[in-house]
Amino acid sequence: MAVPAAPPAVFDAGLGWRKHPQIALRDESFGALAYHFGNRRLTFLKSRPLVELVASLERYESAQQAIDDLVPPHEHERYRRALARLAASEVIDVR
Amino acid sequence: MGSCAMTPNQTAEHDQAVEDPTETTDELVSDDLLVEEVSIDGMCGVY
Repeated sequence: MAVPAAPPAVFDAGLGWRKHPQIALRDESFGALAYHFGNRRLTFLKSRPLVELVASLERYESAQQAIDDLVPPHEHERYRRALARLAASEVIDVR
Repeated sequence: MGSCAMTPNQTAEHDQAVEDPTETTDELVSDDLLVEEVSIDGMCGVY
């Protein structure tokens, strides 16, 4: 069965986000596997910094603050887009 | 095999990045490599 293309991401980095409560993360050598118990999707997080970012979102007032603190400046835009993708896949959601 | 076929699928966004290198920057490729989705619907015996 094909995976439908994700809808346009509605991701506002100025808001507070968290790992979705129905997501379980399992550490892997490449990063982590995220399994969603609701939609039964598997998502591969293919970098350790992204795993740390997702797991740490809840500690920050906004996703942007988490990015500023955990991601090198030249990678900010790339990780914002990754979070937007994860928001569209319900790996993260707004608190 | 029918509904039991093991058919992990990449997203359309990922496929586009792979199939159309003329419109793909290094940044887009890297961005895609950060996140990849698969579906396990249709896999038998994994639950």
